[in-house]
Amino acid sequence: MSVAVRVLGVGSPFGDDRLGWVAVEALRRSPWLAVLPAGVLEVEACDRPGAALLSAWRDAQHVMLIDAVRSGAVPGTLFRLQGRDLSGAATFSTHDFGVAAALTLARSLGEDTSHILLLGIEADPAYRGDQLSPAVAAAMPLLLERVEHESRQWMMRS
Amino acid sequence: MTGKREIHIQVPVLARVEGEASLSLHAHDGRIEKLALRIFEPPRLFEKFLEGRDYREVPDMVARICGICPVAYQMSAVHALESLFGLDPGPWVRAQRRVLYCGEWLQSHSLHIHLLAAPDFLGFTGVVGMAQKHPDAVRRGLHLQALGNDIIRLYGGRSVHPVGVRVGGFHHAPAAADVAALRTRLHAALPEAEALVAWTASLPLPADEQAFTCVALRHPDEYPMNTGRIVSDDGLDIGIDRFEQRFTERQEQGSTALYCYLDDQPYLVGPLARLNLNLDRLPAPVRQVLDATGIRFPSRNMFHSVVARAVEILLALHEAIRVLSDYALPDRAYADTTVSAGSAFGCTEAPRGLLWHRYDMGADGTVCSARIVPPTSQNQARIEADLHQSLQAYGLQHSDAALRLRAETVIRNYDPCISCATHFLDLRIERDA
Repeated sequence: MSVAVRVLGVGSPFGDDRLGWVAVEALRRSPWLAVLPAGVLEVEACDRPGAALLSAWRDAQHVMLIDAVRSGAVPGTLFRLQGRDLSGAATFSTHDFGVAAALTLARSLGEDTSHILLLGIEADPAYRGDQLSPAVAAAMPLLLERVEHESRQWMMRS
Repeated sequence: MTGKREIHIQVPVLARVEGEASLSLHAHDGRIEKLALRIFEPPRLFEKFLEGRDYREVPDMVARICGICPVAYQMSAVHALESLFGLDPGPWVRAQRRVLYCGEWLQSHSLHIHLLAAPDFLGFTGVVGMAQKHPDAVRRGLHLQALGNDIIRLYGGRSVHPVGVRVGGFHHAPAAADVAALRTRLHAALPEAEALVAWTASLPLPADEQAFTCVALRHPDEYPMNTGRIVSDDGLDIGIDRFEQRFTERQEQGSTALYCYLDDQPYLVGPLARLNLNLDRLPAPVRQVLDATGIRFPSRNMFHSVVARAVEILLALHEAIRVLSDYALPDRAYADTTVSAGSAFGCTEAPRGLLWHRYDMGADGTVCSARIVPPTSQNQARIEADLHQSLQAYGLQHSDAALRLRAETVIRNYDPCISCATHFLDLRIERDA
């Protein structure tokens, strides 16, 4: 049975790479999510899932990936990217098989990735703590608002 | 003529292995003069982190050593500690641990075959290119990998660094309904795993017979995972507590991983060694599928490792289905522990081979010292010996690019987990007088 919206927070325990997990924890506490009927929206934290993302986003009408972004932009910058616009390198080690690589693999298998959206925040490359950097923490409320907004639009359409 | 040329090949970062390593090769006058697999990933010092920790923290700490084989680390650790504490967790725990281990073999082997090894044999630089030409094979691999992850999640709460294992058993017993649903899916995947064995056997694998010593666990009546004696095809047959009397680790220049030797000689651990030594422990339906490939085991062709992995995927499915077919919720998912002081030894079969642990425990249940010997450091000397033989056999007249690709193919075939193997740092400071 397919779920209308699946939100996947991708991350690891290291610094700003946690942001996908932090977002998932915050979402689980949010009141708007608590009143949704069961089976409409799922929220899941993923620890560096690699190619397993391809099964994590199956059986969902819409998928939202939340991940830290490293593009050279100002730390804290919010990103909204369509799955089809993301691609990764052609060869990878399984230790750095990220979201972009998983999307590239999915497309090379002929899978449709147009139902996948990535929301991210530019990480602070200088930050080395076990929480979030100040810039990313400051952008988190905006990201969570965005997740709610996108999810509501999707649920209305489903 | 070209075979006599001077060859320098540097592979600064090997792709499609777990972690960071490099290879340097120098050949002169048609002979390999220098060849070194350098593991330069920083040492991880896990053994030191464990010192002073309570025994209850050990399973979760060692799970962090590897994202691909956390279950193996947990299993070697809990078996070591339980054996010292004189604790028998009973048949339910023993059976469910076997299923959990099946999950790890499934996901790790599927990952290696499809994402790391097969592109070499089919002439692709990676899985993305391979997926365009062989989408069904890649989909099948991803499906089997996901099934393995789901088994680990069932017992461990999550598939990466699972947290369900404790000394004495599990924190939580899976619900019967979840087990039944998973068993149905495992059953449905049997034809896929059978097809995978045939597919790996049909790959254009290089024919390169070599002489090497296989080492694996051996159990009186089952294909080894959690328990057994350490045996070799050269007549070794010892209890796991005698490992240090025959196996020695030493550091070689340029590598942060230790090299492990059996009586001073390189040896092989992992799927091919396991299968070569335990053919008679395969369940009949698995043996039939293996025999139908036409490849004769025991095999001396290292490239048959990919077939051995596929066979173990099929075995893992059969074993998980068998154990789960009479699943019943236990009264408790763990047995109580009474700590005692002394040396604890654990040895289980990680997907990549023997994973040996030793813990010296204090009377209060804290770790005084720990020693972990992962499969990759055991295979390191064998990988270098293999490179020497296979590159010489392949022919040094080939181009640098071709030699480099063959060398990388040889290394990747072992599924080395560099991150697991880096334990050691030898700090050298050279100062001018």
